[in-house]
Amino acid sequence: MLKFLEATAIAAVAAAALCGGAVAQDAGAGKRTFAKCAACHAVGPGARHRVGPELNDLIGRTAGSIEGYRYSPAMTKAGQGGLVWTAETLQSYLADPKAVVPGTKMTFAGLKKADELANIVAYLGTFATTAAAPPSAAEATPPLAAPAAAATPGAATPGAGHVLRLGRQATPEEIAAWDIDIRPDGLGLPKGKGTVAQGGEIYEAKCAACHGGFGESVGRWPVLAGGQDTLQNDRPEKTIGSYWPFLSTVYDYVRRAMPFGDARSLSDDDVYALTAYLLYLNDIVTDENFVLSDENFTAVKMPNAANFIDDDRAQEAHYHTGAAPCMTACRPGTATIKTHAAVLDVTPEEGGDDRQPAAGIQ
Amino acid sequence: MSQSNESAQGPSRRRLLKAGLAGTLAGGLVTGRALAAGDPAITDIQDWNRYSGPGVDAQPYGTPSPYEKTVIRRNVPWLTADPVSSVNFTPLHALDGIITPNGLCFERHHAGVAEIDPAAHRLMINGLVETPLVFTMADLARFPRTNRIYFLECAANSGMEWRGAQLNGCQFTHGMVHCVMYTGVPLRAVLAEAGLKPGATWLLAEGADAAAMTRSIPLEKALDDCMIAFAMNGEALRPEQGYPIRLVVPGWEGNMWVKWLRRLELGDQPWQQREETSKYTDLLASGKARRFTWAMEVKSVITSPSPQAPVRHGRGRLVISGLAWTGNGRIAQVDVTIDGGRNWTAARIDGPSLPHALHRFYLEHDWDGSALFLQSRAIDEKGYVQPTKDALRAARGSNSIYHNNGIQTWYVGTDGVVENVEIS
Repeated sequence: MLKFLEATAIAAVAAAALCGGAVAQDAGAGKRTFAKCAACHAVGPGARHRVGPELNDLIGRTAGSIEGYRYSPAMTKAGQGGLVWTAETLQSYLADPKAVVPGTKMTFAGLKKADELANIVAYLGTFATTAAAPPSAAEATPPLAAPAAAATPGAATPGAGHVLRLGRQATPEEIAAWDIDIRPDGLGLPKGKGTVAQGGEIYEAKCAACHGGFGESVGRWPVLAGGQDTLQNDRPEKTIGSYWPFLSTVYDYVRRAMPFGDARSLSDDDVYALTAYLLYLNDIVTDENFVLSDENFTAVKMPNAANFIDDDRAQEAHYHTGAAPCMTACRPGTATIKTHAAVLDVTPEEGGDDRQPAAGIQ
Repeated sequence: MSQSNESAQGPSRRRLLKAGLAGTLAGGLVTGRALAAGDPAITDIQDWNRYSGPGVDAQPYGTPSPYEKTVIRRNVPWLTADPVSSVNFTPLHALDGIITPNGLCFERHHAGVAEIDPAAHRLMINGLVETPLVFTMADLARFPRTNRIYFLECAANSGMEWRGAQLNGCQFTHGMVHCVMYTGVPLRAVLAEAGLKPGATWLLAEGADAAAMTRSIPLEKALDDCMIAFAMNGEALRPEQGYPIRLVVPGWEGNMWVKWLRRLELGDQPWQQREETSKYTDLLASGKARRFTWAMEVKSVITSPSPQAPVRHGRGRLVISGLAWTGNGRIAQVDVTIDGGRNWTAARIDGPSLPHALHRFYLEHDWDGSALFLQSRAIDEKGYVQPTKDALRAARGSNSIYHNNGIQTWYVGTDGVVENVEIS
């Protein structure tokens, strides 16, 4: 699956290079180019499958999805993997079919000229028979019309989805309202800024009650500061400064989920200020006048970033003894108890008298 | 039958551990003496045999017998700062088979239960897609549906046991797991509606709760077997399990199964969210931490006998029962030992053996009344063998919190009282 995506990406780059950005589309010229395809593919009213599938309504169709045609397993899989024929994907595919869908049974070597690719896609686009607009034109559809219609029994209209025509197009305003995530590379950071000092005031008012005046925490709420050089200790203290690998996580999490019980109440500038203050509490910045903004955000590196490794559990020795599990006389002697849960005695009971151990989980 | 009828009225577990089961066994002897005249359960006419009971309008939505009132989810108050961001535990010791009843599935929330009106809930797909889309719940019901039985285990299940035996009861040591049948739609079908753009390799799933829970999921998994579920065990999801919709990520840690799912974003790299950096990463003794440890490893536990389900019947025929599961697919074999791992016997797996589902095992045993060190050891279809806790600590240290799949030991005393121990 991922192989397919990579191949598509490569081919798309190649096609973009061929196209050179702006190529006039000429459906009439595309009709002449289609002569190369017509031996195998039919298009237009009454078109049927031949050696290849019929090509009406191709734009917006999921690859390998038309019933009654026997696709190669590779094409079916590509469609299941999300390949949808758009002007872009179709041009990539027609430029080098076997690179985009390895295993396709289409023997066509590919169209090498950018104008031919653009024209043939324009030509095929003229054979759209369903009412739904192709994706590129969907912006013109009144975005809220679909759900209103769907709410009326018996009046469901085809949606904007590419396969089953379900759903409607999300508006830019809706995406902006929900898509607030921030990535380590800065993608998603809003414009704004805040200082350590400003963050200190907000922290005192909205955060210190749970996280403590210096990020040391109250009760079992998360400790935010300190803990440097404790990760190999018997009781490590995992804080923003000692553990968190990315600053973007601080901004993202505070903005989406804090203050606890009043999420989304902070302004973007407030979150910059708080993030700056948390850097200050962790001695990652030392100047109270430090200003954190969308412009210098990705320049801040977290001290523990290099200490995260990928999942290598499968390589652990206990999974590689090389022997079938022992069934008889596996250990010498008789079993003796090393630790009792009853010694700690922290299991909850009805009616209370619960004791507390030294550490819980967060 | 479960032990719960007796435990409902019985002495506390803590008292049992101190005083043993002598008192309750004496009660059994009284019954034995009474047999000369006949068992009053038979010779007396019971109320339920004389008087008619409640009608069909008494309980429009049924509940368990009042005699099962102790079979409930429980939390451990000292574990977390606030019950709103906390966990409770499935009463595994009192359940059987492989399906967890909806009301007993453990809960873990990061900002409480979102109480969502489905008419005001939407699912958005945005990012590297051809067409960003919004679906209503009615839209999702128009996709082809699928039914699958899967376990869901919190990555922190057994997390309190890394430093040694701590909690007396498999509800607390292993109860962050449940298994239900989900009805929903394949995630790949929903994504195909939006059309993936080349370069999309990661998916961000986001919940509508006050934590706006987010996790990055590799697209390969998302397109393989993930589902958007709207029902569990045949009825709508419970609010605490993500009503109206949740993500299903078979075999992978529960935190990724985003509840109250409202948004799916496609991208070309992980988002490094709080729950995949600060939390749900596994600190090793070296000070390095593993990240993206998604799959749940092969694991099992004996659910009865266990500290909350002691042996009350004395010597003789004893049913040893438990659960096994793996993120690698099916369980191939479960072995049980009564002598702390010196000798093992293959248990009997009964009921369906489904990939990424709980498996129920039994070992019928003639107990001679001597003390037992009970353990179970699961082996999955990929050949992974459940490790000992000592082996896990040797590889990882004691500070990983997550992914503790070590072999559990229950000590059964000669009086039938059971305790969580570690042995050598």
